[in-house]
Amino acid sequence: MGLRGHKTAVVSSGLAVRFLVALMGPTHVAFPSHWVRGIVTPAEGGQDGHVTWANASYERTDLARRLTIQAKGVTAETRIVLYANEQRSRSFAVDKVVGLIDVERTLIQPLPAQFRGGERERLLGLFVESSYIALIANPFWVLELPSRTNVLDVFALRVSERRPGEFDSRLRLPSAALEEASAMSAGSAK
Amino acid sequence: MLRTQLGRQPHKGSKGATEARMQHMVVFSVGGQRLAARTEEIGGVMPWTGSTAVPSDTPFVRALVRQEKGCLPVFDLAAKFKRSLQDGEPLCLVVKHVDGPLAICIDSQVPSLHMVARSAVQYRAGNDPDIAGTCIAGEEELPIINLTTLGVSSNRPA
Repeated sequence: MGLRGHKTAVVSSGLAVRFLVALMGPTHVAFPSHWVRGIVTPAEGGQDGHVTWANASYERTDLARRLTIQAKGVTAETRIVLYANEQRSRSFAVDKVVGLIDVERTLIQPLPAQFRGGERERLLGLFVESSYIALIANPFWVLELPSRTNVLDVFALRVSERRPGEFDSRLRLPSAALEEASAMSAGSAK
Repeated sequence: MLRTQLGRQPHKGSKGATEARMQHMVVFSVGGQRLAARTEEIGGVMPWTGSTAVPSDTPFVRALVRQEKGCLPVFDLAAKFKRSLQDGEPLCLVVKHVDGPLAICIDSQVPSLHMVARSAVQYRAGNDPDIAGTCIAGEEELPIINLTTLGVSSNRPA
């Protein structure tokens, strides 16, 4: 099972956070991957507002609308991300899955102070890639849970704890979804 | 990347005394609207390389622009003045904002540096907290924009 969209942004012995990067409208949005439970097609998602996958139910949320992003609408590249922690689960549509990326903690920048509105609750910060700037969605906000301070520290992995070539053992996506995400992201993620 | 217009500098008196009576201003254009700003509020000018939209509720702050390995927030001054940027390759004006460096997309016309007599500078509070007053630069009366506090007064609770 190869995840061709996977990329390590930097090699260091420090802390890193793994993100699932997706396109929503023109915006690259990054989600801490620890809470990604799966990626399915809209057809697999069902029509009743819930997605049931691997015996778990995920309530649909219109994340693009909540983020005030104009999404493209359903295309062949649209996918439903299943996102959950121990307390709550949600599913939401993205226009395209770009891939997984490990970003060194020190390369994650906070949202500049000039942003003063509700975006400060929705977005934790950003990181700069060669071909895009990714905005980091607050995973607690995504799941409609009370936020907390130092959110990203919850998701930080010590890079040296992983063996070469080892993916995040906490990221347990349905294998079919992973293969599909790999195929989709092969052309866009480096 | 600043054009200097020093020809208007008075020649009488000592240099120090003259400079004490002068205010250095940068004149630039946004959607054809010409504006003046104090030089000490400007960090630089560089080519505009495009921006990344940010879903933001903050008025006029809805994008980021790359700068070296990081990025800067963008204040949409053209939108504030309800104007569209003129044709040509726009420039990026980097501002020394109180909250950190800030980028503004300006018209392709390269900003010019003026030495303006202090008597030609009128500071007065108006309806727009981002406008400090007016000055006469190059025989034009121009609004002086408060770049360091751009967007702060109108958005930050008192």
